[in-house]
Amino acid sequence: MPNNPTHLPLIITGAAGWLGRALSSHVAHNADGLGVSQLIALVRDSEEQALLQSSLPKDNNLDLRILIGDVTNTPDIDRLFASSSGAFDLVHTAGIIHPKKIADLFAVNETATKNVMQRALHRGARRVVHISSNSPFGNNPHTQDTFRADEPFNPYLAYGASKMGGEIAVQESVSQGLNAVIVRPPWFYGPFQPARQTTFFSMVKSGKFPVFGDGAQRRSMVFIDNLVDGVCRARAWEGEPGRGWWIADTQAYRVSEIVETVGRALTDEGHTVKKNRLRLPHLLGQVAETADGFIQRTGRYVQQVHVLGEMNKTIACDISSATHDLGYVPAVSLYEGMRRSIRWCAQQGIEL
Amino acid sequence: MNSMQQIWDDANESKMSCEVLIIGSGAGGSPTAALLAEAGFDVLVVEEGRWVEQGTVAPFSLDQMEQQYRGGGVTVALGLPSIAYTEGRCAGGGTEVNSGLYRRPPTEVVERWRDRWDVRDLDPDELMKTATEVETDIHVTHLPGPASVPSQLLRQGADALGWKHDESPRWMTYPDGNPRHGQRQSMTRTYLPRAAKAGARILTQCRVNKINISHGKATYADISLANGQAGRISFKFVFVCGGAIQTPAILQRSGLRKNIGQTLAVHPTVKLSARFADAINVPDDVPVHQVKEFAPDLSFGGSASHAGLIALSLLDQWSDFKGAIEDWRNMAVYYAAITSEGRGRVMSVPGLVDPVVTYRLTARDRELLRSGLSRLSLLMLEAGATEVYPAFRGAPIVRGRKDLATLQKRFSANKASVMTVHLCSTVPLGENRDLCGAGSYGLVHETKNVYVNDASLLPDAPGVNPQASVMAIAVRNARHFIAQEKPHA
Repeated sequence: MPNNPTHLPLIITGAAGWLGRALSSHVAHNADGLGVSQLIALVRDSEEQALLQSSLPKDNNLDLRILIGDVTNTPDIDRLFASSSGAFDLVHTAGIIHPKKIADLFAVNETATKNVMQRALHRGARRVVHISSNSPFGNNPHTQDTFRADEPFNPYLAYGASKMGGEIAVQESVSQGLNAVIVRPPWFYGPFQPARQTTFFSMVKSGKFPVFGDGAQRRSMVFIDNLVDGVCRARAWEGEPGRGWWIADTQAYRVSEIVETVGRALTDEGHTVKKNRLRLPHLLGQVAETADGFIQRTGRYVQQVHVLGEMNKTIACDISSATHDLGYVPAVSLYEGMRRSIRWCAQQGIEL
Repeated sequence: MNSMQQIWDDANESKMSCEVLIIGSGAGGSPTAALLAEAGFDVLVVEEGRWVEQGTVAPFSLDQMEQQYRGGGVTVALGLPSIAYTEGRCAGGGTEVNSGLYRRPPTEVVERWRDRWDVRDLDPDELMKTATEVETDIHVTHLPGPASVPSQLLRQGADALGWKHDESPRWMTYPDGNPRHGQRQSMTRTYLPRAAKAGARILTQCRVNKINISHGKATYADISLANGQAGRISFKFVFVCGGAIQTPAILQRSGLRKNIGQTLAVHPTVKLSARFADAINVPDDVPVHQVKEFAPDLSFGGSASHAGLIALSLLDQWSDFKGAIEDWRNMAVYYAAITSEGRGRVMSVPGLVDPVVTYRLTARDRELLRSGLSRLSLLMLEAGATEVYPAFRGAPIVRGRKDLATLQKRFSANKASVMTVHLCSTVPLGENRDLCGAGSYGLVHETKNVYVNDASLLPDAPGVNPQASVMAIAVRNARHFIAQEKPHA
């Protein structure tokens, strides 16, 4: 593990989001070990503020400041950075994946990222970790291919294009002197998950998770705690700015294997799981992808169509650079991570 | 006849005879001829092309294409897209004109061939021992000094990305120790003289039209000589070694069709030109470094890059790219080759001299070509290229990473100049009668004395330069033939 820096404030944008809450919670538990003197969290409204506070341990000694503001609003970003005097670190998790309209993707993932990076540069950030995605790189060309640490952009529809814009904004700021690195999680899961992930469990439980063809498509996945570990390691890494890493499990899984593992985890947590029988032809995935592209060109977004269009793709990535540079090794397996996720849902009173 | 007495092109006799007729003098036919002649067989090699002494034409030049390639280097497998391919047509075949890069077949490939096609006694270790002998015979070696600049750029780009690469050895000698002065140890320098020394006769500019076969037994071949005269060669055995296109065509013209010419395998290849700030062009050689990070699915390497070939690679988007040709000294051509799931066909058609060749790429192949071209473009940017010109219609000029997204969006295999130089698998060997055209040692199924011993036999494309595979299997099969027919030789 790279050495943690001397104690500095840590700014987290999107702190009430899925990753933001998991990261904030981890920081609250381990502020001293992580070298965090103060957590400055940006949330959008009082509802998110309450959500974040409910995610943090009650008896923490964290010096916490929560700011209400929007990354798409420049004065809010200025206010965020003005809240810290001297050096600070930043983890930019704010992003949007399932928007009401397509323009929101670019406003948040590209333009706001550019503004955040520029202000971080001018306010003297010690280290910035930008959270990107697999989407700027699209899908693997075939089921056995694996994305290396450095790949050519091939954005998947509008979300991919907006996250690509975000990465380009980060690299431009790096070329101007910003000490920023990029973490790219693929499909992640675990505590603090939004409702759509609950649907995932429900579909597996009822035997209705859509598996395309023979289910040989491969997907990289990462448990949220593993992702948080990767983000913290990236923050502490002292190498060349501009580097990016996949943070995921060591191997990508066949979709059929994911469905089977989730089914096993559900069973072992006491749920009754029906045998998954929803096999769909590849053609349907292609139809959904085409429909998704058409809908997005009209500026609209339909989450179900988007997710269905992506489900017959292979998105597999190679984490060896993260292991080499950061010492990152995923500590929680898919099966164990899924069991913890199911238990978290139960603790929250979420019916699967 | 020339000074070697056994090598001639002005045959006057219309009727000849021999114990073993070998059709074709490339990587398969030449070692077969040498081994059989040395074992005491009366061998006659017939070659459709000319004997062209090395050094009399510039390597990778248009002159060479005219003299030593079939159709002047313009041959095409029809399909969407059509795939341009090249075949050597001269004494020594493809070994006289190819890049000279040597790669043993990967062990897992040999095992796949053995298991899926049921090739009897195809032992990977034994085949590698045979490969070692071949390597001695043709002087396979690494460069005695630094690689050319285009080759080093390939390596630098791969290093910057953390991608695996290596230097491919070549069948070359370097008499003065200068890596730029290599002499290729092609068939006209190695196995053909060896065959002649052992008594084999080598007749060039002689085309075999048909082998006459009755009840599975072949007795003579109908030929056309350099002077246009028709003739006939009688034999006891015949080895067809005309390469993966001509071999099935000859067999089909002779009435043999089962599993012959139906499973053409190639390494489809897309190209780009990369422009650098400094002069880097080496017109008469190709890079020896290859990037194997994504092997066997994808391989990257360098191509011949004289000014004419750079112009050719810019042609697909000439309206935007033509300005670059002025700067050809700062440019080099690179390729991305894939292992293909697709297959092609070779069909001899009555009335046509050359067979009709088709090839169909699968959806996976098309995506791999897209991915290959974009990954190669990224590599060239990392190598320091100021501009990259991908070879497909509608391609953007790539100046930075953002342009790679445009490249991928605009790319379609149908718009690309797809080509290949590796052709194989049109008469796969093995005991699986559903898949194979010839037996485990090349005897064409349903025949008693018609053998194939060239790239046609490889059950599928090896994912590496195939000449080593072709030669090792040819030597293996020739030895088996000798043991069968002349056990005391």
